[in-house]
Amino acid sequence: MTAISIKGLRKEYKDVVAVDNLNLEIEEGELFSLLGVNGAGKTTTIKMLATLTKATGGDALVFGNSISTDGDKIKGIVDISMQETAVARKLTVKENIEFYARLSGQNKDETEKSKKYVYEAFGLDEVKNKQAAKLSGGWQRKLSVALALVSHPKVLFLDEPTLGLDVIARRELWKTITALKGKMTIILTTHYMEEAEALSDRIGIMKKGKLLFIGTKDELYKTTGKTNVEDAFVELVTRGDIYA
Amino acid sequence: MRKSLSRILILTKRNIKEILRDPISLAFLIGLPLFMEILFYFIFHTMTAQFEMKYLAPGIVAFSQAFLTLFIGLLIAVDRNSSFLTRLYVSSAKSYEFIFSYALAVLPITFVQSILFFIVGGIADTSLFGIGMVLAILLSLVTALLFIGLGILFGSLSNERSIGGIASIVITGQSLLSGMWFPIDNMGAGILTVMKCLPFRNATLVLQNTVNGVSDTFNDFVLPLIIVLAYTVITFVAAIFVFKSKMKEK
Repeated sequence: MTAISIKGLRKEYKDVVAVDNLNLEIEEGELFSLLGVNGAGKTTTIKMLATLTKATGGDALVFGNSISTDGDKIKGIVDISMQETAVARKLTVKENIEFYARLSGQNKDETEKSKKYVYEAFGLDEVKNKQAAKLSGGWQRKLSVALALVSHPKVLFLDEPTLGLDVIARRELWKTITALKGKMTIILTTHYMEEAEALSDRIGIMKKGKLLFIGTKDELYKTTGKTNVEDAFVELVTRGDIYA
Repeated sequence: MRKSLSRILILTKRNIKEILRDPISLAFLIGLPLFMEILFYFIFHTMTAQFEMKYLAPGIVAFSQAFLTLFIGLLIAVDRNSSFLTRLYVSSAKSYEFIFSYALAVLPITFVQSILFFIVGGIADTSLFGIGMVLAILLSLVTALLFIGLGILFGSLSNERSIGGIASIVITGQSLLSGMWFPIDNMGAGILTVMKCLPFRNATLVLQNTVNGVSDTFNDFVLPLIIVLAYTVITFVAAIFVFKSKMKEK
């Protein structure tokens, strides 16, 4: 089943076109990585799909719901982890999860189940009574990503989830994300090419708001003649030809 | 409607925890005004009427409310700039629910401030206890709305680094232009007009005159209250507009 169907999506800010005529289909349960240099339009695309920003043209369907007209329905089935660590700083880890679960409309029993699920998925049990502000950067980031799972979304947007993490913490988060594969549709943006290589079912490469390439890693290697995502990415973005 | 109320309550609880778990906010919202109330009363109340408890206690309540602007503004600025608010929008929470939750979070805090400073005042001067004090405590919730609105407005406009400077304008304004720390009889006509036109002196007068009673109800109570309410309405309209547009921009 198609989870996300994007047709001619466009976003303009005054005289800047952030996303230009984007067309893309993502299947249910797929982990799709959006790559691109800064300002390529990745975050804007994600924000439009999560109904946080209005598109100026085109449309996208998230499980059949239009981002232009069915915003409330989409909000019930998606969640997002932003680039920035976004947690309630003076609340404990446990309180953060409870707060987010209750805000998502969960009752007490559902909140308890969500806590258990998130503790297990992210290993947060050992720090559950610590205030978020007193956690290390790595743990805060983990919590920030974990909160996006509390609402049990059908579509999860991860905007540079491992930004600023050391290599060990990054690998740990990769494991967590890998364990989520197939359970929900995940759209991930990242600047770490090895992350896209390790996690993605398919990859999309954007430049100046346009999608240059969509396909699997193997298709990317074949198109560029390279043997790793980083070299292939550099080749494609430098060349600028559209293969999507 | 029920879902919306439930979300406001959940957000409010979180905001109360965020403010009360910051020891600095407690020090400025409760500790500093309490210290000043006791200190100024004991040092100066025999020298000048300005610092008799019937003027000092309601003045301290209005002064302490100016710090609400700082802490509510700080909370909003941090929430906005850390993308915390942006992510909460995905949970279906609406702008007006956030605004209500910020305002509701500090109302109980200011209620406690008001009761505490009046009771301490009453212990120092028992003539303060009475219906006037009860009414002033209730009215302090109205004057608090002005500072809450300013906090929401400034928090929506600034970031966590600049909010301190911006909010200090309100705190300084409340200190210097309320007329509670020094006699204003000998001040120039120009500055007196400014004080009458701005909300700071009027907020203080509303509380002081509620405690002490008035001879000219309109000029001593109704007019200051109208001025405070007018500023409060304008501030809240501006705050809602700026908050919503900033969130859209984000």
